[in-house]
Amino acid sequence: MNMDALLLSLRLALCVSAILLLIGMPIAYWLAYSNWRGKFLLESIVALPLVLPPTVLGFYALVAMGPRGPLGKLWIVFFGHGLAFTFGGLLLASVLYSFPFAVQPLIASFEGVDRKLLDASAVLGAGSLRTFWRVILPLSLPGVVTALVLSFAHTLGEFGVVLMVGGNLAGVTRTVSIDIYDHVQSLEYAEANHMALVLLVISFAVLSLVYGVNRRVWNPWPAK
Amino acid sequence: MLAARIRKERRSASTTYFVLDVSLDVSPGITILFGPSGAGKSTLLDCIAGLTPPDAGRIALNDEVLFDSTTATNLPAQKRRIAYVFQTLALFPHLSIEENVAYGLSTLPAEDRRGRVAEILDAFHVEELRKQKPTAISGGERQRVALARSLVTNPRLLLLDEPLTGLDAALKTAIVQDLRSWNAAKRIPILYVTHSREEVDALGERVIALENGRVISHGAPMDVLDAPRRKQLAQAAGFENLFAGTVLDLREADGVMRVRLGESACEMEVPLGYASAGDRVQVAIRAGDVLLATERPHGLSARNIIAGRILSLEHRGTMVIARVDSGVVFVVHVTPGAVRALELTAGKQVWLVLKTHSCHLVE
Amino acid sequence: MTGQSRTLGSWLRFVLLFAAIFVMQRELLAQGREIRVAAASDLQFAMEELTKNFEKQAGTKVNVTYGSSGNFFSQIQNGAPFDLLFSADIEYPRRLEAAGLAEPDTLYEYAVGRIVIWMAPEAKVDLNKLGWKALLDASVQKIAIANPEHAPYGRAAVAALQKAGIYESMKTKLVYGENISQAAQFVQSGNAQAGIIALSLMISSHMKNGKQWEIPAEMHPAIEQGAVVLKNARNKNAARAFLEFVKSAAGRSILARFGFAFPEPGNSLGLRR
Repeated sequence: MNMDALLLSLRLALCVSAILLLIGMPIAYWLAYSNWRGKFLLESIVALPLVLPPTVLGFYALVAMGPRGPLGKLWIVFFGHGLAFTFGGLLLASVLYSFPFAVQPLIASFEGVDRKLLDASAVLGAGSLRTFWRVILPLSLPGVVTALVLSFAHTLGEFGVVLMVGGNLAGVTRTVSIDIYDHVQSLEYAEANHMALVLLVISFAVLSLVYGVNRRVWNPWPAK
Repeated sequence: MLAARIRKERRSASTTYFVLDVSLDVSPGITILFGPSGAGKSTLLDCIAGLTPPDAGRIALNDEVLFDSTTATNLPAQKRRIAYVFQTLALFPHLSIEENVAYGLSTLPAEDRRGRVAEILDAFHVEELRKQKPTAISGGERQRVALARSLVTNPRLLLLDEPLTGLDAALKTAIVQDLRSWNAAKRIPILYVTHSREEVDALGERVIALENGRVISHGAPMDVLDAPRRKQLAQAAGFENLFAGTVLDLREADGVMRVRLGESACEMEVPLGYASAGDRVQVAIRAGDVLLATERPHGLSARNIIAGRILSLEHRGTMVIARVDSGVVFVVHVTPGAVRALELTAGKQVWLVLKTHSCHLVE
Repeated sequence: MTGQSRTLGSWLRFVLLFAAIFVMQRELLAQGREIRVAAASDLQFAMEELTKNFEKQAGTKVNVTYGSSGNFFSQIQNGAPFDLLFSADIEYPRRLEAAGLAEPDTLYEYAVGRIVIWMAPEAKVDLNKLGWKALLDASVQKIAIANPEHAPYGRAAVAALQKAGIYESMKTKLVYGENISQAAQFVQSGNAQAGIIALSLMISSHMKNGKQWEIPAEMHPAIEQGAVVLKNARNKNAARAFLEFVKSAAGRSILARFGFAFPEPGNSLGLRR
């Protein structure tokens, strides 16, 4: 039983969820409350990873990370080596891949907050940040939890993207899904089954925990 | 003292397009902003509060310029120190009453904050509810909390958007009391939006009538509402009878005009106005200003004595609404005692008596 | 006819049409007009040539799917509808035969694979002069190979590195592609500065530009590539015909052009060009 692969997958999923929450919130905030006419374009871009095959995404990520790609060039200047085949490379590709899974629930939640509450907050002297922290966020908690859970689960099960940019390095980019695939390739079915089962159990446990804890928070606040 | 000149084009979901174009001054005390829905009252409040910018104009409060389109000044709502109670109250559902009221006092040290909050909760009689959530308390209590939340910040101006809708009479009276005592103590300009005539009478020191985005009248409540010059205002202000009529002739010596109501044979004398024979006018008459007689009266000063037949009688508590057909249908208010004494029934022949000055010409 | 039954009628007609086309397809296949081949990634370009020539000659269409041999093995075990398997490792067809999933007497070692070190044309290293020593250069940070756990080319690459005595020091620089094509892709995109790739992939016009150095055959165990006709084949005659073509002089000359070697007759471990 390969603990490395499992720990790597969990670490990746946690990091991706955290990053997506951090960068997803300002983007979701803007998309929820802006009145810009061109907003629909940005919404489409955000949703793009939903329809792109993961291998396509991974492939273009690989090219972008390469020495001829814009990102790769920059990275090599700063760090002296490429971004592909590193945990950082996986992180970047996974963040792109799971982006809509985090941002869309956040947008829906933010939009669901009564606008009059935001007005009230402003009139009572609260700036945008305070209004966000004290009014929008607490009332959007179900959406935040959904975003977290979806990003986590989606990253945990990721295969195509990791396949394209990972390079299958043990302990660095060999995630559980890659490991299971390798075992199948090598005809080690028992091992593959074993790992798959462990992954299933862990995923189920995490999801149950989050949804169970969130049950109390789930009660949507009535309008008045 | 609030001085506002505002122009804003408004495309509202419920009404057709109109332009808000007003100029008003609000002194300390309660000023009622009166008008039918769609007149632009909420938009006006939003502009004053800083929630939406006017297209052009100037808003100044106690010599501080809040908005000026010529100098591109626009103070954000957060800094205006204006209290605004919305129609929906907008209490924060996830915070307790205490936290709601304390929300606007974040800049104060905790001690002062606690003190102020306790003081105002007490003043508005909601002290025991401090730990509850807004969903757990009654409508009237929520209204008080909303008022408390706005007033605890010692605002320079208070905006109230139909704050008493949906409350029963007793509650309204109680809250009005609290507001008036608070007003007596602090004396800031209060702009109070309503379309209820009773609230105007209970509270208003001054009334500004708004219709289709424009101020059509302002002054003491009696002047504005008892002599409405606009049809919508008339309807809103409780004139149950509104007839379209044609001017027959003018009698300057008598100070009256004769008007035919609708297509009927019914003719009335109304106060002399700026009209000529053949003009179409609107005549508004309060149901409470009409007298009923079971026989044709004589020797009265009233110039309008109109025969008619009772169509229906509807009992509503202390009032009976009678509908009388005189060629046009009049709505008349009488007491149940009168109905008994005169033995009024549907189908009975009656005479309507109206003073000339009870008939108002409306545009 | 009511509205509802009219919709039902047209839906039914659609389904029947669909079914008819489906059946026709199967008929086509059964009539020997088309065969399906599962081929290892290193045959990418060689197989194109082979099928083109065969189709012209026999009139049968050849549908090729490329991938890793291990993958195909699992799929075939689970009933994948291929007619032929061209594996990069003869071990898989052997196992299929042993499991009764192959047509008897069709197992054939069709080629012996060769590996090369490949670098992008911009590489500053003189690969031709240094040979495997080029991998020691500081500019080579990542070396791409196929995954040795299940790809024969990957195993050969590791063996060659071990024979050269540099495996232990180079191990940290290795990155693993799912199959030999992905390893090539890593180098092509510049993310890996060098790769140990199948020679057969180098002959293609896409790859010609890079620098390459053929790793001497003695440095690794032979990559015996085997083919077999599958029991599950729908069109056994056409499949056998294709295999015969590959065995023929014409087929062998195409393979040779793409850098494949052949086993000594009767001796599956020998090499002959």
